Parts: sequence; C-alpha cells; structure tokens
Amino acid sequence: MSTAVVKIVLHLYVAGRTPRAERAIATLRHICERELANFECDLVIVDVLADPQLAEARKILATPTLIKEQPAPSRRIIGDLGADPAELLAALNLPPVSPEAQLSTLP
Amino acid sequence: MTTMELNTKQVLVTTDDSQLRQIVAANADGILVVDGDGVVRFLNPAAASILGRRVEALVGQDFGYPVLRTERAEIDLHHPDGTHQIAEMRVVDTEWESGPAQLVSLRDITEHRRAQQALRDAEAFNWAILNALTVHLAVLDATGTIVAINDAWRAFARENGDHELRHTGIGVNYFTVCQHATGEHTNEASPVLKGMRDVLVGKLPLFELEYPCHSPTEERWFVLRVVPLRGERPGLLIAHTNVTEQRRMARAVAEAEVLRERLRALERELQNFDRISAGELAQSRRIAAVPMRQRAPLAFSQGVERYRALLEEALQYRAKQTPLPVASLRELGERLGTYEAAPRDVLDLHLAAVRAAGAEAPPARQHAYLEEGRLLVLELMGHLAAHYRSKAVGRTGDPDDTTSGQI
Repeated sequence: MSTAVVKIVLHLYVAGRTPRAERAIATLRHICERELANFECDLVIVDVLADPQLAEARKILATPTLIKEQPAPSRRIIGDLGADPAELLAALNLPPVSPEAQLSTLP
Repeated sequence: MTTMELNTKQVLVTTDDSQLRQIVAANADGILVVDGDGVVRFLNPAAASILGRRVEALVGQDFGYPVLRTERAEIDLHHPDGTHQIAEMRVVDTEWESGPAQLVSLRDITEHRRAQQALRDAEAFNWAILNALTVHLAVLDATGTIVAINDAWRAFARENGDHELRHTGIGVNYFTVCQHATGEHTNEASPVLKGMRDVLVGKLPLFELEYPCHSPTEERWFVLRVVPLRGERPGLLIAHTNVTEQRRMARAVAEAEVLRERLRALERELQNFDRISAGELAQSRRIAAVPMRQRAPLAFSQGVERYRALLEEALQYRAKQTPLPVASLRELGERLGTYEAAPRDVLDLHLAAVRAAGAEAPPARQHAYLEEGRLLVLELMGHLAAHYRSKAVGRTGDPDDTTSGQI
C-alpha cells in the first residue's frame, strides 16, 4: 500500500506537436497508465517552441527530452524513448523501490 | 616485458590515441561520448557546432541518456539564439575511462528534411490541382501499371461499381484491363491498347478516341486522351473526359440550324405569296416593315397568351403521348394572318411566350418548353404560311380556274 503514495513527476520537452512528439507522448501516457498504474504519475508536456525560456533555463539541448523530476535522483533521457517500456523504465530507474521492499532485500 | 618494450607500447598507444582524436576532431559528423548518467564526457568541434554551443560549455553538461527504438532516431536541436536544427542521432555502446558509455553521433539533416518537405509540398500542390479537375486522370508506368490516379478517377470508378478499385486502382495493369475488356467496351479495347503502346514508344505524339459509356440511367460519352510522360521515367498520362454535354450541345446546335433553315424556307414562301399579291404589295410592305408587337400590341399580347396556353397544353398532350389537336394552333395562325404577321412576328411571339412560361419554372421544365416550342413554332409558321397561301390563291386565282378569287 505504501507504493501508492510515491509520486512520479515526468517532464517531456517536445518541439511542436509533430508526429515525433505525438509518438513520444503516446509512449509515456501508455507507460503511466500501465507499468506505473500503481503510482501517482504526473506527466507534464513542455513545448520548447512555445516556452523557449524554460527550455533554456533547463538547458534542453535537444527534443524529445524526458526528465524524471521526482523521485530523486533526477534523470534525463534523450531520443524517441524506444519501443520497449521496460528499457525506458530501467533507464529512468523506475518504478521506484519502496522502503519496505528495500528493507526486505537486506540480509 | 622489458622497460624498453613497455616504453615502446606506451608510445604506440599515445600515438594511436592522438591520431584517433585527430580523426574524430576532423569528422564532419558531431561525435559525443555520454556516460551512464547521460553527462557529456567528450565531444568533437562538429558536435559543439551542431548543438550551437562551445565545447567547454558542453563537457560535463547533462545531455541525456539516449533511448531509441532502433539504432537511429531524429531529434530537434535547440540553439541558445532560438534557432533549431534537425539531426539524425545514432548510438552505440562504448567504454569511457573504464566505465560504460554511449557513443552518440549527430548528423545535421536540416537541409535534407527541408528539401524533402519542399518536394512533398510541391507534390501536394500538384495533386491538389489534379484533384480539382473533373477529368479522370491516371498515370501509368512503362509496363502499363497504374501508379497514380486523381480523385475524379477514383470517384468515377466507385460510382461504376469498382468500390475497392480492384480493376481500376493503383497497382492494376491498365494494358491487361484493355486486353481482357468484355461487353460494351470490346470494340474500343483493341485500338486503345494499340494507341497507348504507340504513344509509349513514340510512334504517336498522342492518342484520342471518343467512345460511349452509357450508364443504366443516362447516355454518356467520353473522350480518352493518352499523352506520354515528359521526364526521365517513361510512362503515360491517361485522361477520360466526359463530353456528353458537349455532344448534347452540338446536337442542339445542329437541330437549331435545321430549325433556322426550315424557318428561312417558310419565310421565303411567305415572301413569294407577298409578291404574288401584287395589288396590295405597297401596303403590305409598309405594314410588314413595322413589327406586329408595335402596330397591334393588344393582338400581339393576346397571341402570346394563347401561344403560351397551347404550349402548356402541348406538354400535357405529350405526357399522354397523344398529338395536340391541330385546330387550335391553325386558328392562332389564321388570327395572326389577319394581322398581316410576318415570320419574325411569329418568332417574336414564340420567344416571348417561352420566356414568360419558363420565367419561374425549374430547369427541367424550361428545357421541356424549349423542346416543345421548337415544334410548335414550326407548326404555327406552317399554319400562317397556309393562311397566306390560301389568301393568295383566293386573290390571284388559278389561271385555269375562272371561278377562283370569288370566295
């Protein structure tokens, strides 16, 4: 039950609503709804063309860029986010491991 | 291993490393090494240029850990000045300072993509024009296979039963379709096939053929036009144009010409009678010089009303497929004769009546008035001519008949 309170915040930076951006958004929504269904998942889409200052402040060099803002540590992914949710989740260090689970793995 | 051997190996490694760095630095593609956290550990000047930043500003910067569907992906690069470029990113696993890393190469494909977009726009523009045409168009390659069709072609195929475009759609061989044509198009299929092949090999500059393509509900005529494709790839442009309306108009023009000729003949006949009645020649000329509409306006408008009523009546009779009784039209002809009506007065009256009848009628009804009016005006003209003929005969008499002229 403790896993339900862990909040995941993902910021996806895209450049306009191109097919490339739409595909990345669809991939992430799919992952939030299925693989991360047990977590409170907050997905924020940032269009760098509409908000260039924010993109520059976060030093976004290229899009699509996905930043896992929470839980710490922050993690940044670049590219089309792949076809395999497991690969993307592994790169993001998600889903987060609950404290109980961490304790249970201790000898 | 001796000290000398060790030194030699170190020198070799240093030389290889230095050469490798030179090669990487000179590479036109941007090359970066990012570590497991996505942080830039190394990049060449081309990578810095593509990313729009200095090398020093990028080393240690969080670029992002690459996750790709395949070994390459397209990404947008954003420069600090707000401009952006499109790059193709390729990623392979590597090692950097004994740790796992990713070797990322970036190739600027902005111009390539812009050129592709321009081509797509140009093609979309061309097809927008072709799709706006009502002519049915198809492009064939050198083997006769349909490689492109416009909306009009597609719509016509569907309207005529080829809903899935199995027989006339892209990928179908049009030569084969002609070879196996059956039914009403059998006669045209062979010359069409020969025509297409002759145009393809340059024996003919173009090929044209008019052919019937009647639907169960209407008579239709088309013109097939085949022209060669001008370009590097040999092929044909096939255009089918519906010319039913043109044919209908050509027929109407021919009919109108026949009608005019018959009217001219009647007019000549009337003038002959006019000449025969030499006694009243001067007066007739004077009267005939003024249109009936002006010299007898009331009689003229009554005549228009009567003619219009007869036109309506004629349409009703036509619906019943029985001819209009002759007496009423003859009566009108004789009445016009009493007013010394000339052929042009009859035409005036006809046009006024048809115009009045068709003023608020739907197009189909207007067409019916015109059709029926053509026959009616001829008949009326005939009655008028007959009236003058009888009058003239009455006046001059038959030279052999001493009793004539006393009616």
